[in-house]
Amino acid sequence: MTVTVEALDELVTALRTVLADDQILTSKTDRYNRARVPAPFPVHRWSERLPDLAVLPTSTEQVAGVVRIANELRVPVVPRDGGTGLTDGAVPLRGGIVVDVKRMNQVKELDLENRTVTVGTGISMLKLNEQLAKHDLFYPDDPASYPCSLVGGRIGTSGWSLIGSRYGHSRDLVLSFDHVLPTGEVMHVGDGIGHKISKSSSGYQLKHLFMGHQGTLGIATEATLKLFPKPEAELSPFWAFDNYDDAYRCVGALARAGVATFAGAVLFDEWKVAYLRRDDEAYIPQPNDVRALVCAVMYGYEDEVRPAGKRLFRIAKDHGARYLGDEISEGDWAARHDRYATPLHGRTKAGQVVPMSWHCEDAAVNYTNLPSVSRAWHEIVADLRRRTDVFDDWGMFTYTSGSTGVDYLTEIDVGIWEQQLDDRAWEMWVKAKRDIAAVALAHNGSISACHGSCREGEVDLVPQELGRGFDVMLDLKRTLDPNNIMNPGKYLLDRAYETGPHA
Amino acid sequence: MTQLDRPPGAPDPVSVPFTPGMRDNPDELAQFGDEIARDPEVKHDPTPTEEFTEEWRNASYNCFSSGHKFCREVCPVMQVTRNESWTPTAFHANVVAMDKGELSIEEVAGDYVNCTQCGACELRCPNTLFTGDFYRFRTRTVDVVKAVRAFAVESGIHQPAWKTWNARTDDKTHEPVLGEIPIKQENVRDWSAGLDIPIGGESVLFVDCEAAYYRTSVPRAVAQILQLAGYEFGLMGEQWCCGGPAAEMGYVDQAQRFARHNLDNWRSTGTKRILVLDPHDYISFTEDYPKYFGEEFDLEVVLVVELFAELIREGRLTPSVPVERAITYHDPCRLNKRKGVWKEPREILRSIPGLDFSDVDRVTQWSYCSGGGGGLPVEKPELTAAISASRLEKAAALEVDTLVSACPWSERPLSAAGEAVDIDVVDIHELLAASLGIEVGGTTNGSANGSAR
Ligand SMILES: Cc1cc2nc3c(=O)[nH]c(=O)nc-3n(C[C@H](O)[C@H](O)[C@H](O)COP(=O)(O)OP(=O)(O)OC[C@H]3O[C@@H](n4cnc5c(N)ncnc54)[C@H](O)[C@@H]3O)c2cc1C
Ligand code: SF4
Repeated sequence: MTVTVEALDELVTALRTVLADDQILTSKTDRYNRARVPAPFPVHRWSERLPDLAVLPTSTEQVAGVVRIANELRVPVVPRDGGTGLTDGAVPLRGGIVVDVKRMNQVKELDLENRTVTVGTGISMLKLNEQLAKHDLFYPDDPASYPCSLVGGRIGTSGWSLIGSRYGHSRDLVLSFDHVLPTGEVMHVGDGIGHKISKSSSGYQLKHLFMGHQGTLGIATEATLKLFPKPEAELSPFWAFDNYDDAYRCVGALARAGVATFAGAVLFDEWKVAYLRRDDEAYIPQPNDVRALVCAVMYGYEDEVRPAGKRLFRIAKDHGARYLGDEISEGDWAARHDRYATPLHGRTKAGQVVPMSWHCEDAAVNYTNLPSVSRAWHEIVADLRRRTDVFDDWGMFTYTSGSTGVDYLTEIDVGIWEQQLDDRAWEMWVKAKRDIAAVALAHNGSISACHGSCREGEVDLVPQELGRGFDVMLDLKRTLDPNNIMNPGKYLLDRAYETGPHA
Repeated sequence: MTQLDRPPGAPDPVSVPFTPGMRDNPDELAQFGDEIARDPEVKHDPTPTEEFTEEWRNASYNCFSSGHKFCREVCPVMQVTRNESWTPTAFHANVVAMDKGELSIEEVAGDYVNCTQCGACELRCPNTLFTGDFYRFRTRTVDVVKAVRAFAVESGIHQPAWKTWNARTDDKTHEPVLGEIPIKQENVRDWSAGLDIPIGGESVLFVDCEAAYYRTSVPRAVAQILQLAGYEFGLMGEQWCCGGPAAEMGYVDQAQRFARHNLDNWRSTGTKRILVLDPHDYISFTEDYPKYFGEEFDLEVVLVVELFAELIREGRLTPSVPVERAITYHDPCRLNKRKGVWKEPREILRSIPGLDFSDVDRVTQWSYCSGGGGGLPVEKPELTAAISASRLEKAAALEVDTLVSACPWSERPLSAAGEAVDIDVVDIHELLAASLGIEVGGTTNGSANGSAR
């Protein structure tokens, strides 16, 4: 609790001037359930991260009103949307107000001619696409969290889409948005001021600044998104390999082929295959000589996807691939979201099944560095495992990030037996995360390609990754948020307010 | 081979990929000492909360540890409230917090009202979908909600309207519909006036309280269709509420007492088969009663919607009077989501001439609900109304004039919402009866009970 009882009363009284009673939630369960995202955390320390209250605004004006009050009263504000972020962005570190934007989930305008849709940022991509389907359109931001993450959180994290090699990622797909600054002023962010402009050259390019800041620079309330024709055909071949090296070379060749309908390629390494093998009945039944898997995905019209598929099949074959068949390919790609979500595979080294949470460290790494980053990351996790069964190695994915295959979203999935996560285990883990981030940097990568990097551990290395750029971040933060009310404690931005070299 | 060959220089088996638990793994794997992991502490003198969370800890933890909330957008309460405290995952997280001593049953009980027990979350949950119950870790949100509600009642924490409702039900042995309608044992068969149905026998038609007292056109339609097909059946000697609603609200003792009465009554009339028209009863008889009575419950439970589809298939019923309506079908949650019954109602509808049927597939309907279940309308009628309104909005988009349901409990809130968009809500059995040329009688709004409309 950062706010005293009297101050809380004053705050609630002030909030009642902009919100109705049922939009202000103060009960313990309301607060506990907004102090939680899927990323594991020692649950014995849950109470350290509670907000003082949560609000459920329904309009930009209400959000602005709440932020203005918070700024006046110097109360922290934490934007929260789906609450599926994996770096704890939506979890309060200093109490205060959680601004939960889920009630802002309306489709405000559908422009069929310019191919845009304007939505409240509390809408999910799944629900939006249900509505767009009637017009044969779709919004192709497709993270593995597609059924649960929401547009505002995609903006807050500048997320990464599984089919981004064809359609681009959140930052490319969000054209513009209304945004409440930390002072409560409202601005429009985007190329130009016309809401639906995809490229302008006037002024500084502020869109990038206001995406991926993890709620430290304000709250996006209404967004205009770019739409595409709903793909007529989807081809997603899965191929098996008897060794990692061939699979790795195959992925690179697929990505470099320059096929226009190519939406992405994924490489599952030996650890991932060993992990999937735990539940053959639920996943791909793999013969023992399968050591690595590759999936390529194409989206488009039937008559463009089919010949393109032939080309990719040829490339795969040349690299020693064995096609796993239509049924596995289609089923597995259809399950692409749920696949991330089953926590049942936590096992001790001896094989005992225990409930474990899924943690995923992600980085952006160039193609040429993937093998050595993978080796180093697995060794970091192996070292944890040697010491305790609290950690389990669930293997790695690498996904193409762009159409040319220059760099890859690289992630290692670690099972964490959160019920056993005491302070000692947590320390071990934080150190491991720092080491994992350091490996990415040592390979000229970025600490994060999609989730952000504001959690204990990796966040320590952000100044190192950004260099002089980190000081610019501090300058911007101080200017835009003079009282440090927006999601304080994240991204080491408190340094902006310390006396010393940065003050 | 599950253990990849250890390359020269690799220090130990942990440094190469392996699949834990496989028989051919090296013994070394099981022999690493552990710095942290310990067996959970066994409490010797557990508090009621500790006893409760001991039972549910791992089940709830499995959801907590995924925490992704794939379930969220299909949850009917969430759809209208957008309040994260009332999502399936919050119901599990609260149990974890109780286990950690962070929250108490007093603090959480009220939140658990906000669930219609429709089961959509379970269908959408990867923990349920993918693994069956291989590790006995399946996420069963409906059971968790029921268990917490029961624990609340056991701890003396009541929701005001539920408490009154259950007290009155206990008093009258039936759902206490208020107003003019006499809710008494003498009136439980009023709906069947003039149909000349015997008492008891091998097959007994069980009529849920809502249909028996309020929407009497439904059991009348069912009874007359059975008679037309020459299917022999009787009514119960002394029919009490099935106990399902009490069980859902946490009043476990009452639910079991009612169940015991009904079972004894069936025994006394030599009943071997129960015909059920209400999906909620179907859940009680196929899930709750077997749990209460085990082997002792050896009766056959027949869902009449399934029976009618079969009779039509066999040519024993032939709908022939055209019904000129533009309809869509509402999949009742307890049939579609909880029991996987979705084909037969459609079969029946397709057999009725004259209907212009705009179907919505059953998977899409996972996110539809009337809001009428799980005790929600008793404690939070405004939420039920909002959920029904959202259901009718979806029907209105199909430009139909009629929404057909197969669940009497959904029909009251759906009808109310239907008025706003000018859509009639009709029961599938009634519709079938009409096409069979039956003059049904009865009421759809609890007014003049038992007689013609
Ligand atoms: C199973 C699973 C799979 C995942 N797969 C992917 C994936 O493939 N790609 C990917 O990118 N991510 C993935 N994620 C991570 C997560 O879904 C994304 O980070 C997502 O963008 C978060 O969205 P959210 O709506 O849940 O946001 P939240 O978790 O609520 O918030 C995320 C951050 O954004 C801020 N924020 C929220 N709303 C706003 C707003 N309106 N304005 C400004 N800031 C805001 C928050 O303060 C927080 O810092 C996955 C997560 C899970 C659980
Ligand atoms: S109920 Fe299932 S889908 Fe929902 S959060 Fe829990 S595990 Fe995920």
